Amino acid sequence: MAERNLDNIKIIREAVKQDLLGGRISQVLGWEKGHYWWQSRPLFARSEADLEKLTWDSFCGINLSRYLLEELKDHEKVGVLVKGCDARAFNRLLQDNMVKREQVILYGLPCPGMLDYNRLFEEAGAVPSGIAENNGTVILKTGGGDREVKREDVMLDKCRECVYPDPAAYDQMLLSPQGERKAAGRFKPVEELEAMPADERFAYWDKELSRCLRCYACRQACPFCSCRECFVEQESPRWQGRAYQPSENFMFHLVRAYHGTGRCIDCGECERSCPVNIPLQELNRKLIKDINELYGDYEAGLDAEAEPPLLTYRPDDPAAFSEK
Amino acid sequence: MKKVIAREKLPELWKSLSAQGPLFLPVQEGPVVLFQQWQEGAKINLEATNTAVPPKDLFLPREETYMQYRCKGKELEVIPAEEVKPAVLFGVHPCDLSAVELLDKVYIEQDPADELYKIRRENTTVVALSCTEPDPFCFCNDFAINPADAPGADVVAHLKNGSLLLEAGTDKGKTLLKQAEDLLEDGSGQSFEPGEVKTADFGLKLEGLPENLKNRFDDSAWDELYKSCLGCGVCTYVCPTCYCFDVEDFGHEAGGERFRCWDSCMYGHFTEMAGGHNPRPGRKERIRQRFMHKLQYYPETFGQIACVGCGRCLRSCPVNLDIVQAIQTFGGETVEQC
Repeated sequence: MAERNLDNIKIIREAVKQDLLGGRISQVLGWEKGHYWWQSRPLFARSEADLEKLTWDSFCGINLSRYLLEELKDHEKVGVLVKGCDARAFNRLLQDNMVKREQVILYGLPCPGMLDYNRLFEEAGAVPSGIAENNGTVILKTGGGDREVKREDVMLDKCRECVYPDPAAYDQMLLSPQGERKAAGRFKPVEELEAMPADERFAYWDKELSRCLRCYACRQACPFCSCRECFVEQESPRWQGRAYQPSENFMFHLVRAYHGTGRCIDCGECERSCPVNIPLQELNRKLIKDINELYGDYEAGLDAEAEPPLLTYRPDDPAAFSEK
Repeated sequence: MKKVIAREKLPELWKSLSAQGPLFLPVQEGPVVLFQQWQEGAKINLEATNTAVPPKDLFLPREETYMQYRCKGKELEVIPAEEVKPAVLFGVHPCDLSAVELLDKVYIEQDPADELYKIRRENTTVVALSCTEPDPFCFCNDFAINPADAPGADVVAHLKNGSLLLEAGTDKGKTLLKQAEDLLEDGSGQSFEPGEVKTADFGLKLEGLPENLKNRFDDSAWDELYKSCLGCGVCTYVCPTCYCFDVEDFGHEAGGERFRCWDSCMYGHFTEMAGGHNPRPGRKERIRQRFMHKLQYYPETFGQIACVGCGRCLRSCPVNLDIVQAIQTFGGETVEQC
């Protein structure tokens, strides 16, 4: 059993209930418990009974904003619970003209960082019967008694280096803000890769990408992958072969990463979704780092009004449009 | 034929077996465990209950060549696919073994049989490994599989008291144990009695489910179930009983190849017709197809549900939409795990 802060859940339920039952929105995207205490899965709530299932705990890692792409086809107006990364994802979709601001109510949830069940199991040495949380620590309930670990140490990778846990866009902020986090190690793996000789770096990616099943979970979970038709599926010309060749795996991952340049909001959903643990954030963060170095600091999704560096044209661009 | 070998002598066994042909076994690859061909220095992980991806690619490779051709002017040379060498697949858990038996029904027990699959299956000696510790996502008990036993394998292996016990179940299995005779000791004094391993029990009501689903193609429950699906192919690729493939041609001026590769009913192009019509236009139709195939179409044709409770979809679906949820939706009361 995962301990839940029932007061917080009550605040969230009350806020969305008013809007849902009052007819301001016809659906709320939130989370409900899955089969296990360490899983919280998407909830599409349309009634008071649905809202009874609504939860907010340390396992709500799934980004809900992406569902708007489909849900806004059937609903005039939808409410979404957004963590820091979910709100940046919403801004991403907004900037890509994939959603309309007036069709959505964002309920802001400052996020303490989500927990990784694999790390919890590892720390406990078995599957704990549940956890409790107390001020930056997680208490693992095991047969052999309780074990306390630092919360930071059992968080999802995607949350460990999160800089903006508070939603940057919201209509109502429901809980108290967390404040900006320091993420000193965010670009460390990228720097290590940059320091490698090219051959070694190629061998590294060759090995990591060799596990790719091309299930496209990274793409489907991604808020910047909102193209109506992905280059992968285009038949004429056929950019992406279906064969499981190293070159085809490189083709997919590199084109995808480049397509996210200046657009990736660093939510880490791609990496969390990968069934074979390919370190996709390293590719994305390399491009985030490059953009910062070439165009000045830019954090995608933080400000929907700020112009993304590669989606902007200026007549006085310092680099010529084409050079011979 | 019963044999035993001390665990510390296993590296010698791997070496000896691979000298005779490719040996595939669970290897720790960074953060995940995958079935891979043994090579010197490989980190073998026999403790992992489930590999991230099932061993189905030993029989149905992710990509497999039918034939290649080379062009020289107007001359065309056809190069047949490489011959499949006899291989050993070591460490298949009982759920995955049951899944291979489900694939056999589709690929071998049909007329005509699928030659490529059949050759690989016949040329592979399967050593099953009983489970000692179930993974938290395992639920094979719901499918009447005993994770501590694997009848039907060429050899059944058990890890017990610092040793690996090996019992041949078929002639192929006996041949394999004979090949490694020098390293193995007589195991007739050992207890091979399968223990009992308890997995998660969702209390799934499977009886009558296929029959019940027959009239529920248009059920409104599908309108709700599919909603969280992202439309990726994780569930199909990590599923040991999913077996769909696509046939592709790859060609250039000097030659080309016809091959098949894994495909997924979760993808839009899977059913896209020439001209653009798609009979399964969205996620709802695709989710329905996948679960109906497991729970209704396959059982109607082959007499059993096409799920073995390996738990990979429970672990790997990025949004926790899995077959248990589908069975719960259509199969009545169940026991929640939290």
